[in-house]
Amino acid sequence: MRGSFSSLHPAVLFAQFFIVVFSSMFILHPVFQGIALTGASLYSFRLSGARARRFNIAVGLPVLGLFALVNPLVNPGGSTVLFMLGMRPVTLEALLYGCSSAMMFTTVVIWFSCVNAVMTSDKLTMLFGRIAPATSLVFSMVLRLVPRIKAHVRSVACAQRTLGRDASSGGAVHRARHGMAILSSVTTWTLEGSIETADSMRARGYGLEGRSSFRPVRFTRRDGAVAVVLLLCSAVFLGSCLQGSAGMSFFPRVSVAYVPVASPLAYVAFGVICLLPAAYEVWEGRVWARSISRI
Amino acid sequence: MGAFDIAHLTFRYPGAAVPALEDVSLTIEDGAFLVVCGPSGCGKTTLLRHLKPVLSPHGDRTGSIVLDGTPIGELTGREQASRVGFVLQDPDTQIVCDKVWHELAFGLENLGLASEVIRLRVAEMASYFGIQHWFERPVCELSGGQKQLLNLASVMAMQPRALVLDEPTAQLDPLAAREFLSTLRAVNRDLGTTVILSEHRLEETLPIADGVVVLDCGRIVAEGEPRSVCAHLEAARHPMRRAMPTPARAYLEVEGASAGEIPIPLTVREGRTYLAARAAEGAVAPTSSPVDVGARKRDSVESALELRDVWFRYARDGEDALRDLALHVTKGSWHCILGGNGAGKSTALGIMSRAYAPYRGSVRLFGRDMRRIPAKELFSGLLGVLPQDPQALFVHDTVRADLEDVAGATPKAHALIERVAEQVEIAHLLDRHPFDLSGGERQRAGMAKVLLLRPRVLLLDEPTKGLDAAFKERLARVLERVRADGMTIVMVSHDVEFCASHADTCSLLFRGSVVSTAPAREFFAGNSFYTTVANRIGRAVRPDVVVEEDLVELCGGPR
Repeated sequence: MRGSFSSLHPAVLFAQFFIVVFSSMFILHPVFQGIALTGASLYSFRLSGARARRFNIAVGLPVLGLFALVNPLVNPGGSTVLFMLGMRPVTLEALLYGCSSAMMFTTVVIWFSCVNAVMTSDKLTMLFGRIAPATSLVFSMVLRLVPRIKAHVRSVACAQRTLGRDASSGGAVHRARHGMAILSSVTTWTLEGSIETADSMRARGYGLEGRSSFRPVRFTRRDGAVAVVLLLCSAVFLGSCLQGSAGMSFFPRVSVAYVPVASPLAYVAFGVICLLPAAYEVWEGRVWARSISRI
Repeated sequence: MGAFDIAHLTFRYPGAAVPALEDVSLTIEDGAFLVVCGPSGCGKTTLLRHLKPVLSPHGDRTGSIVLDGTPIGELTGREQASRVGFVLQDPDTQIVCDKVWHELAFGLENLGLASEVIRLRVAEMASYFGIQHWFERPVCELSGGQKQLLNLASVMAMQPRALVLDEPTAQLDPLAAREFLSTLRAVNRDLGTTVILSEHRLEETLPIADGVVVLDCGRIVAEGEPRSVCAHLEAARHPMRRAMPTPARAYLEVEGASAGEIPIPLTVREGRTYLAARAAEGAVAPTSSPVDVGARKRDSVESALELRDVWFRYARDGEDALRDLALHVTKGSWHCILGGNGAGKSTALGIMSRAYAPYRGSVRLFGRDMRRIPAKELFSGLLGVLPQDPQALFVHDTVRADLEDVAGATPKAHALIERVAEQVEIAHLLDRHPFDLSGGERQRAGMAKVLLLRPRVLLLDEPTKGLDAAFKERLARVLERVRADGMTIVMVSHDVEFCASHADTCSLLFRGSVVSTAPAREFFAGNSFYTTVANRIGRAVRPDVVVEEDLVELCGGPR
C-alpha cells in the first residue's frame, strides 16, 4: 500500500530514512530505542497493515527472545550475577544487553522494510539523477534488463527441455553442461540485444553534450515544511547527543545517561523524527476524511 | 519540414560482392506517408538506416541524401537526434529505462532540456498516445503493443519532422499492429510528420499510404501511388505482387494489369464495391459448386493429441487461464488454434508440451496419459515443440553444431542432418551462426533441430510472426512436406490468412475454452468477423469464399 508520506519528495524521504536507520543502528539508550521501535512499528503497520503486524510479531519476538537468551550464555561480563549455569555466571547486565541488541536489530529490520516499500527504484533514480546522472541511468538500465534476462532464461530453459536438454534434472555433470549451454546462449542474446539498445540510445541523441536529468516530481512547500521540521529536530537531537544524552553502558554495570534539559529535548526531537511518518499518515487521513465530510 | 531527397544512392557493405543498395533515387515530400516494402534482405533496413546518420551502416557509399536542403551528413548531432526519429523492429530491445515515464523523458534528457520543458513534453505525449494510465508502470509489465507505442511516443517527444520505422509491427499481434498503425496514421495526419515505414503487413498499410516503394535486390522496382504500384507489379509479374492486399490481388488476377475503369480496390469495402460491380455485369457466379481448397479427406479419426476438460491457472488465487478445454487433434492433421490475446492459446500449447500441468483434466498423446510418459521418451520421438522465439533452441555457434547436438556426429547422423536440412531448405545456412539468420531462416533452422528428434506431433507457436509473404509460403511448403511424412501439426496462430490457406482444422479459443472447431473452410465460412479478407469481401454473395483463389473464381476470373 502506498501511503501519503511516500508521496513526499524523494530527497525528504531519503533524509528521513537515513536519520532514523542510522540512529537506530548505533543508539543503545533505552528511551531512544523505545521511541525508534514505536515509530518504526507504527509506520510499518500503516504501510502494510495486518501482514506487517504478523511479521513483526512472528519474527521480532523470537529474535528478541533469542538475543536475550543467547547473549548471557556467551557473555560473562557484568557484575550482577543472577544465577550460575554450570561454571558460568549469568548476569543481569548481559541479559539486558541482549535485549537491547535484539531491539536494535528488530527496529532496523522494520525500518528497512519501510524503506523497501517506500523508496521504489524510480525514487532512487530521481534522487541520484542530479548527483550522479550516469550511475542513475545505468541503475535504471539494469533494472530494465534483469526481468528481460530472467524471462529469456526461462524460455531457453523451457525450449531446451523439449529437446531433452533439461538443466533441472539428471546428474550433476549433465546439469552443469546444459546449464552452461543455456548461460552462453543467454549471454550472446543479451549482447545482441544491447547492440540494438545502443542504436536506440544513439538515435535519441545519447552522448550529446550537456545531458540533463528529468525529475518528474517537484519540491513543494509541503516537502519544504517537512524538511525544515526534520532539520530542526535533527540539529537538536544531534546537539543533545554530543552533550552525552544518548550514552549507555552495560558493563560492568548498567548505566543510563541523563543530562538535564538536553535529554528531554532530545527525546522530544527524536520522537518527532521517528513518529513523523506514522503521524503524517494519520494527519493526512484526517485531512482526507474532513474533506470527504465536506463534500 | 521533413522532406528527403535521395539521389543515386549506392551502398556496399565491406567485403560484399554485390551492393546492398544500387542507384536508389527517391524524393519524399514533407508530410508524406511512405511505405517501403520488398522481400526480406532486399535492402529495406539498409535504406531506412541511411536516413538517420548515426545508424547508417559502414561501407562504401556514393550518392547523396538531403534533408530539407541540408546534406544529411552535415547535420549536427543535436539536429539529427531531434529531426529524424527512428523506431526499430523489436519492441523490447530499444527500450532503455525501466519505467515508462523515464523512457519518455530519455531522449529529452539527452538533448539537455530543463525539467519543466521535459515535464510538459512528456505530459503532452502521454496524453496524446493514451499512456497516462500506465505512466508509472515498469516497462517489463507492458504488452508488446504497449511497448511499441511507448517507443513511438518517446521518439515523438523529441518532436521530429520525419519518422522512420523499420518493421515496427512485425513482432505484434494483428490487433496491436492495427492499433499501432492507426496511431501512426494519426501522427501523420494530425501533426504533419513525415512517415517512412517498412512493412510486411501491406493489407493494412497500403490503404493509408500516400506512396509505396518496392525494393528488390537493392534496387527500386516500383514506386508511386499504391494503386499504380500494384498495377505495375502485376504487369511486371514481379513476385512482390503476392504481398499486395487481397482485394487488389484478386482484382488484378481477374482484370489483368491493364485494369478497367474501377480503381484497384485496396480495402474490404472497395473490394465489395468491385464485387458488386462485377455482379451487376453478370460476371459473378454465386451458385457454382464450392471449390475444394484446404478441405482434405481425413485418413483416420484416430486421435494424436487429446485434451480432456483441462483446467489450468497460473497462480493459486489467479483466474483460470484454461477452463474446461476440450480439444481433439486427429492423427496426421494440421490443426490451427486461433484466438485473441489472452484467450489462452499459448497456455494451451504449454499444456500440450507439458510445460504446465493441468489442475483438472488430462492430456492424452496417442491414447496414453501424458503425465505417465517419461520425459526422455516424450521429447525424443513423440513431441516436438517449436517455441515462438526459435532462438531459444540454439546454444551453439553454428547451425550445424546445434543440429549435431541432437542428432550426433556420426556419418549416419550427418546424412540425416543433410536430409532434414534439405527438407526445411536450410542446407545453405548450416555454417552460419544461428543468431545471424533472419526471422524466416531461424524459424526453419529451429524446425530442423526439432525434426531431428523425429517427433510424431509438432507443436508450433505463432510460426508466421514477422515473416514476409515469400517466407510464409516457404514455411507452408516445409510444413506440408513434413506432414506428408505422417506428422501431426498443431499450430497456435493469429494469422487468419495462413491458417485458412493451409490448415485442415481450426479451433477458436475464447477465455480458455474452445468455442468452435471445424474443418478450415467451414470454420472461416461460418465466422463473420474472425475470418479472412477474401471471406469478408465475398461472404455477402457466397459465404464459402475463404481464400483469394475463391474470390478470383467468384469474380469470374481464371482459376
